[in-house]
Amino acid sequence: MLRKNTYNEFVKILSKPRSFLGIGALTLLILLIIFAMKADGKSIISFVTASFEQTLSFNGHILNGYLIAFIILQMLIVHVPLLVALVTGDLISGEAAMGTIRMLATKPISRTKIVLSKFIAGAIYTLILILWMGFLAVIVSQWIFGTGDLIVLNSDGLTILQEQDILWRFGAGFMVAYLALLTVSSLSICLSAFAENSIGPIVATMAIIILFTIIGTLDVSIFDTIKPYLFTTHMASWRSFFENPVDMGTIMESVLILVVHNILLVALAIWKFNRKDITS
Amino acid sequence: MKTLLSILLLLPLVGLAQSSAKLNKVITKLNTVKDYSVDVEVKADIPMIKILPSKAKVYFKQKDKFKVVSKGIVILPKQGFSEINTFLSDKSKYMAIEGDTSKIAGVVVQLITVIPSGEDNEIILAKLWVDDSRSLIIKTQITTKSNGTVTTNYTYGDMAKFALPSKMVFEIDVKKFKLPKSVAADINQRSTEKKDDKRTKGSITVNLSNYKVNTGLSDELFKKKS
Repeated sequence: MLRKNTYNEFVKILSKPRSFLGIGALTLLILLIIFAMKADGKSIISFVTASFEQTLSFNGHILNGYLIAFIILQMLIVHVPLLVALVTGDLISGEAAMGTIRMLATKPISRTKIVLSKFIAGAIYTLILILWMGFLAVIVSQWIFGTGDLIVLNSDGLTILQEQDILWRFGAGFMVAYLALLTVSSLSICLSAFAENSIGPIVATMAIIILFTIIGTLDVSIFDTIKPYLFTTHMASWRSFFENPVDMGTIMESVLILVVHNILLVALAIWKFNRKDITS
Repeated sequence: MKTLLSILLLLPLVGLAQSSAKLNKVITKLNTVKDYSVDVEVKADIPMIKILPSKAKVYFKQKDKFKVVSKGIVILPKQGFSEINTFLSDKSKYMAIEGDTSKIAGVVVQLITVIPSGEDNEIILAKLWVDDSRSLIIKTQITTKSNGTVTTNYTYGDMAKFALPSKMVFEIDVKKFKLPKSVAADINQRSTEKKDDKRTKGSITVNLSNYKVNTGLSDELFKKKS
């Protein structure tokens, strides 16, 4: 029953134009970045390496597909949560707003399984989104720019990774990025269980992400104690795979915190939905 | 008295002529190489840059054609690879003054200070430590207008007869490196604690092998994009 309901939920997601709007927007954004890098990528790279170029010369194929993929991932991982929340944010509250939730609750399936099926459908949509992003960022960029060593741009310096040592990092990086987006999906579904309208959980999810991100980026020591527990702190953990050596301890800590967030948020959504007085 | 005065006045010129002669021997040896290609392995230890050893092929042709071909990313010093040879080849552009003798790795070397005569030269000052017995440059310290000071130590192998080194170690000044945060948004920074590398000196070790000298490299090779 869970499988059938998940299928139904996924069909519902696909029937919404906004689901394709997200994929379309992502495609447009990535193609725009690729076009910009093709047109003026060298000057952008030069801007980054300028402080070194007085003394050193960087030789080789620097502007390659891997670098473009890294830049795309870095730029868009901040914005993709909006596209996820746009779809998953009204999975429960949208039904309440449309009045279909009462009918849904009369089906021979427990409320827990209803929430779980919505969560799984949201997870599948998020997976499609990240796979599409990965295809455009890594495959299309490689096709246009070719391959080569990757210069990773950190705020404290450069790490140069060899070509043969990159693809697995992207694979692992996308997996952690997916887990981070799944947390956004869980958060919005959880908020959706508390709301009766479509737009509220979407806006609330974005507001929480923005607030946590601002706290995370503020260089104020008073926030140091809470930063490690904010899920937004771990949303960029995929970057750790592009350090040398890879700090697996930090990555596993991030994965653990994101998994705990997902479990707690889904549990909270189930708890709330089971006690929800469906009147719409 | 007149003779003594003449000797005192001419003494510095005699010294200058001697140092030029030593340098001339080095330049003559350097000029026997019209072109070369060489395989290089580069190990860079530079503050704020993490890079594994990388390989490349370097092409050089008199007077100043230089090209690096590599599949991966290779970091080399901006100055110091071939510029000094090019600079020394035009004797009208500098003045050479002989300094002290000393020992570097057990080899007796003569310090020759090279001062450019023109205003528009990129090189401000070059110090060369020359092994006069083999007419080889053992160490250089070049100060340029835009790149600071680069010290290079040379080791020679089979190609010493052409004054081509088998190993070069560059010591370079690296200013504090900071990327714009908008470009390198490290948003998973977990605390305000910084992990800056305080070093301002870096080194690049270049091992050179498989020299092919005077094979008649075409100019077209240097025009092609690597």
